[in-house]
Amino acid sequence: MSVLRFTATDLIKAPSGREAQRRRADRIMRGIMLATAAIAVVPLIGLITYILINGLPFLTSQLIVNSPLDKEPGISNAIIGSLQLTIASIIVAAPIGIAGGVYLNEFASPRVSSAGELLIDVMLGTPSIIAGLFAFLVVVPALGFSGYAAIVALSVLMIPVVMRTTQEVIRLVPAGVREASLALGIPVWKTTIFVTCRTAASGLLTGVVLAISRGLGETAPLLLTAKGTNDTEILNFGSTMNAMPIVIYRYSSSPDSLQIGQAWATALVLLVIALLLNVLVRFRTVNSRVA
Amino acid sequence: MSITKESRFGFGGGIRVDALFRVLFGSAVVVAGILLAGVVLSMVVSSLPVWNIQTPLSFVFGDRWAGEVTQPDGSVVGNYGALPVIWGTVVSALIAIMIAAPVGILAAVYLVEFAPRRLAAPLTFFVELMAAIPSVVIGLWAAGDLSARLRDSVEWWASSTLGRIFPWLAEDPEAPAAQSVFRAGMVLAIMIIPMVVAISREVIRSVPQSLREGFIGMGATRWETIRHVVLPAARIGLTGAVLLALGRAVGETIAVTMVIGNAEGIPSSLFLPGQTIASKIASNYGEASSPTETGALAALGICLFAVTFMLSLAIRLLVRRAARGAGQAS
Amino acid sequence: MKRSEVNAVGSTQTSKTATPAAGRADSTDKATEGSLNLQNLEVFYDKFRAVNNVSLNIEPKKVTALIGPSGCGKSTLLRAINRMHETIPNATVKGTITLDGIDIYGTLVDPVRVRRIIGMVFQKPNPFPTMSIFGNVASGLRLAGALSKSEIAGIVEESLKKAALWNEVKDKLNEPGTSLSGGQQQRLCIARAIAVRPEVILMDEPCSALDPIATLKIEELIRELRTEYTIVIVTHNMQQASRVSDSTAFFSMGEDRGGYLVESGLTPQIFTSPTQQLTEDYVAGRFG
Repeated sequence: MSVLRFTATDLIKAPSGREAQRRRADRIMRGIMLATAAIAVVPLIGLITYILINGLPFLTSQLIVNSPLDKEPGISNAIIGSLQLTIASIIVAAPIGIAGGVYLNEFASPRVSSAGELLIDVMLGTPSIIAGLFAFLVVVPALGFSGYAAIVALSVLMIPVVMRTTQEVIRLVPAGVREASLALGIPVWKTTIFVTCRTAASGLLTGVVLAISRGLGETAPLLLTAKGTNDTEILNFGSTMNAMPIVIYRYSSSPDSLQIGQAWATALVLLVIALLLNVLVRFRTVNSRVA
Repeated sequence: MSITKESRFGFGGGIRVDALFRVLFGSAVVVAGILLAGVVLSMVVSSLPVWNIQTPLSFVFGDRWAGEVTQPDGSVVGNYGALPVIWGTVVSALIAIMIAAPVGILAAVYLVEFAPRRLAAPLTFFVELMAAIPSVVIGLWAAGDLSARLRDSVEWWASSTLGRIFPWLAEDPEAPAAQSVFRAGMVLAIMIIPMVVAISREVIRSVPQSLREGFIGMGATRWETIRHVVLPAARIGLTGAVLLALGRAVGETIAVTMVIGNAEGIPSSLFLPGQTIASKIASNYGEASSPTETGALAALGICLFAVTFMLSLAIRLLVRRAARGAGQAS
Repeated sequence: MKRSEVNAVGSTQTSKTATPAAGRADSTDKATEGSLNLQNLEVFYDKFRAVNNVSLNIEPKKVTALIGPSGCGKSTLLRAINRMHETIPNATVKGTITLDGIDIYGTLVDPVRVRRIIGMVFQKPNPFPTMSIFGNVASGLRLAGALSKSEIAGIVEESLKKAALWNEVKDKLNEPGTSLSGGQQQRLCIARAIAVRPEVILMDEPCSALDPIATLKIEELIRELRTEYTIVIVTHNMQQASRVSDSTAFFSMGEDRGGYLVESGLTPQIFTSPTQQLTEDYVAGRFG
């Protein structure tokens, strides 16, 4: 058997040294790749298990209903705070993000569009602590540690998420849809809103949900802006506010064992919300692809 | 449907409304741009007081964060040295990417090429689920669970064997540190692996099946096909994935802060606590009262932003090159 | 690149400039080498039977064309011959395929080796974009290993010459494989397949993505290659089949939507005096 040429009879001979080596390498690499896939999953399992075990005992109505100032403290003000801050931020970020994404895709010249892509890239890559630092340097001196500062910081993080998703989704709207509308005499602005955006509506919503999920989980920018408090603030963005990530962070290093336990429970709540939002996004994208 | 003069000029006021519309939507982009410019400017302006009392070079290379010293003659000399935090940032990110890049890419290859159909979808789902978990939750788990496990397994093994040869892997067996740079690197790795997997999967899937068939048709094994055809073809996309993950690792704050220990100075071993730029800003902002103290933090922010900015730029250039290349081929 | 080793098993390469004839000195019987026999072959995608009980003899060192309307399993059959079909999940093969008397689906047989002996050229040219022209042709050789740089260079040149491409690319061997025209790329793919010295070359509609001039060149090439290799070509183009092949097998679709062999024989006979009405209808262009 020459290394250069096989014939049919070679088919049933045992593999040569070099060939056996290749087969072995193939088998070994397959094993390694399977192992890496396992490595990627194992931490997740460990994390979920650990948080469940440690957080479940503290997941009581006391936690959710009571505020930190009650005799049996809870984190109600953090839950309310997270809700308010996230909703307020998305109210600011979503229109800017959607409008910007639409503009870059539909109206911008190639050069502006390209610059816009870079802008979004840079904003997306900006670490959340920098967004917090920005609000800390600009808003806090004027308004103090406040919900307003937090909204500014969260917006900086949310706007590019919405913009990028909007861009990608609008790009997928077939040209024929726009052209059909324009051919009917419908003006450009109406076409854009009622035709293009409506077609992409599900995707736009996905972008908003993604941004919300980002806003809920961010801690660093909130530390530098809303700072956290034990008071319950409702629609008082001018003062410091509490939020779930802040609670987790601060309580985790507390000497009080109740607070540590509550940190775990809050983490459990946050985890469940984040996972639910993620699953929601996935099912939206799967459905829209199938449709 | 008759076309009257009114309807010919549009149902809604026509050209003027269109122009207004464009301006309105375009202003959204301008707002975003202003925000970004504001981020940069605010840090630069805030950091000015620091440049009055020391040079940028002494900032970047100074090895201790010692605040300012009033000289006998009344002048103030700044002694804010960022080298330890820069070191911590670089080392932890390096540890993270050296683990996450190969693991993530190979796991993606497995998911695309080898995983049985029934297994592939749920497995992919689980891997990418990690990316959706808030970093403070990961930090809590890492501080409470992962830290101890790493300390008792990897750190103990490494310090008792390699630690005898390399001092930077040494550890006091009587009192292993509660937090360390190494653990920060590991947490970061765990956090960015899903990113690498997600992007790599897309990239590898988009390599045309005809290329694989061509190589297999010549008598190659599956691994050889992956190594010589699929991975090279996916090279640009995979590089982009790694760069994106690196950017995340460099900027991550909370999970790192919770496991790195916030110790001043460059640690003599990986298994001792340290700091990153992000963790320092998060830890010190509360005490920053004077303009110089705040300015020093802003200067740190500039460093961090510069790194992530360059990474984003590199990625965009990469994407452009890939788009051009794809237009050229065949 | 590894330096050349003296092979412990079997005959040795006597000189680095061995001609193709010397390289074949270790074959059993030159005349019948490369003969394929398909016996009761059935090819499945999961439960669906795409190829239905085909028994066919393929003559060595001849060109056999597989013709018939689309969807009759001709490509599927081709891919079963070089064991590419099984790379699809849940795809199976029943029946026997023998090469020179050896069952290529035998339990001891490594499909990787089968694909070395039975090469394939695909419908759309697929040169590897990350390799140069030289690299493309050498890629199969480098896998086998243990060849010196000059040996590889020699085989690359020889293969490109046989594929009628050498003169056009000899000055730009380092350019990427994708920088060539469609017809050149396909000839590159043929050179690449030849470089590993197969006995059989399978071609799956190799000209369907090419312009008429490139097609003509490939057809000439096929006629030349016939002296050294057994060639099985699937084609939709009947004129091409009649121009290029020595034997022809005609397939059609059965009621179960699987393909079956209607008739086979020498090309002139199939086209001028077929025995089945269906065949006559097809070659007369009445359907398909």
